[in-house]
Amino acid sequence: MSRYTPPPQGKLGQIFDVLVLLILTVGALYIPLWLGLAGSDQIHEAVDAPSWESLQQNAAMIEQWGKLGFADAEAAAPLITARFDYSFSIPALIAVIVTVVGYYIMMLKLSEKEYREVIAEKFGKE
Amino acid sequence: MLIWNLAEYVAWALSAVLGIHIVIDWLRTDSRYSEEQLTSSHEGQIEAMTEQHEL
Amino acid sequence: MSDTVSNTPGIAGEAESTAVQNGGLLRVLGPAHIWALGVGIVLVGEYMGWNFAVGKGGAYAALIACWFAGILYSCVAMLDSEVTSTVAAAGGQYTQAKHIIGPLMAFNVGLYLVFAYTMLEAANAITVGFLVETVAGMSGHEGLDPRPFIVLSIMFLAWLNYRGVLATLTFSLVITAIAFSAILILFLATSPVFGESPLRHVELMTDLPYGWLGVLAAMHFGLWYYLGIEGTCQAAEEVRSPARSLPFGTLAGVMTLAIAATLTWYVCVGLMPWEYLGQSGVPLFDAARLSGSTSLAVLLGIGTLFATLASANGCINDASRAWFAMGRDHYLPSWFGAVHPAYRTPYRSIIFLVPIALIFALGAPLDQVITFSILSGLLGYTFMPLNMMLFRRKWPLDSIKRGYEHPFHPIPAITLLCLCGITYFAVFLGYGTQLVAMIAFYIVVSLWFHFWRYRFVYRAAQFTMPWPKPKGY
Repeated sequence: MSRYTPPPQGKLGQIFDVLVLLILTVGALYIPLWLGLAGSDQIHEAVDAPSWESLQQNAAMIEQWGKLGFADAEAAAPLITARFDYSFSIPALIAVIVTVVGYYIMMLKLSEKEYREVIAEKFGKE
Repeated sequence: MLIWNLAEYVAWALSAVLGIHIVIDWLRTDSRYSEEQLTSSHEGQIEAMTEQHEL
Repeated sequence: MSDTVSNTPGIAGEAESTAVQNGGLLRVLGPAHIWALGVGIVLVGEYMGWNFAVGKGGAYAALIACWFAGILYSCVAMLDSEVTSTVAAAGGQYTQAKHIIGPLMAFNVGLYLVFAYTMLEAANAITVGFLVETVAGMSGHEGLDPRPFIVLSIMFLAWLNYRGVLATLTFSLVITAIAFSAILILFLATSPVFGESPLRHVELMTDLPYGWLGVLAAMHFGLWYYLGIEGTCQAAEEVRSPARSLPFGTLAGVMTLAIAATLTWYVCVGLMPWEYLGQSGVPLFDAARLSGSTSLAVLLGIGTLFATLASANGCINDASRAWFAMGRDHYLPSWFGAVHPAYRTPYRSIIFLVPIALIFALGAPLDQVITFSILSGLLGYTFMPLNMMLFRRKWPLDSIKRGYEHPFHPIPAITLLCLCGITYFAVFLGYGTQLVAMIAFYIVVSLWFHFWRYRFVYRAAQFTMPWPKPKGY
């Protein structure tokens, strides 16, 4: 097993590699934001003329809302009626599962290939 | 309020001072020592000396 | 066990074992520092962020998520302690992956660590800015610019980290202890043990607003109660006795956090309607205000500040060490693999990560930053059971000396894998797009590494442990 000698990397190449990583990172975070796909939407059920009773708040709750600075039901209504939408489509779920599992399989396979090389060079072939 | 405006400026100034201090020390270190010396550490090398525990 | 190969964790081999202590990191930390590093990073999770789990599924869902996440992290701590006490090197899970699974996995794990911590650091800095703004607002000053305080907190902690690890973690130890005491004091002061209690659990608790699906969804932010505890092993190269300190510090950390999380939950749901709690920015500070005591409010305000600083501090420490370790192996440009000759810190990595933290702290919304951090963490936890199964297969128990052996293998590994699966589903429920974007990012980066970057890496030099050849190779 001949030892592998990597080529030296110049300053410029090093800088370029770091830039590539940076661009990919910032891209991964900001692209969902730009496309407006980020975060989970909350649905607000519009309640006409909300009152503490219609919002189903009991005396203790009303008292605590008051202490938190929500004097009347009107002010607290947007917080109380906000609900997450947990509906999802099965194809989307399957797509995500395939992506995650596929990612790990790909990574394990390629890692294994590189790892065998490392072990072969470190310990020599039997 | 004056004190909060002042606090903003002080925070900017302090950040700048700390930043400059780091950069100056970084450039000094890089020019004073050779690249080989700076990158001479090895994975877990210190255990080699401090923890010769046998099974 | 006489035929067992003696294992001095981390001796690299003939050449390096003669190396004098030149150019390496400094070995100065004890178990208390490890506890502070682990708990310090995470404790901020009790001061902000965990309560989104309440919003996701109601008060009881948050408690169930907290305990299931506690199980998940107990598994993480067990698996991690075993591997770390054997592979003691800066870079933690990164170095483990390199020895046990392979270079590409290691590269990915290194990036998980760097991003999880750098994003958490950015989130902390944002919270500091928010807190200063709130305090200014309470004193009657509107329109304070939070940016100088965000920048200052990052610069100050970077400077501390640059100057040396002992001072940094001693600082962490002190402010973590204060922030932790603040939670205990709040609990004692509001609990019915000492007379009149402001807690109103009977009236305020409701049924699960989303049913059991909400409990699943709450797992997403349930991780936030403990996220980052595995960072303890980043400091492995600087611990005086890694085989003892790391398992001890990590497991003590998980227990501390489980207690703190439950107390926090108990106090908060007894004081706030769940709809408010689920959207609050600083829940413990709110709880202190509702208790009606000014001194408690001040104490918890300080606690919030200290918790965020301790967390950001630990994050800089961990992220820079992972980045440094990758540079040292040429996974990243080797320029990053430098150690400061006087302070013995990975100074170039610390400097490099400052502007990155600033970009995200000043430019991105908090929930995005948090989700990016949680996802990177989650990918890292998925790696751990795979890592453990291969570790036990390639090096069975009697082949090398382990500092700590976790019991009941492979039950913890399988439990952890299942809980990770549940958490992926929870993230999918709310943030499916980010999940896919994130995985796409790691796929692209992995291909880039495998087909381009890996050519600069010395093959055999990556394997630095004095272990025998793995089984099956």
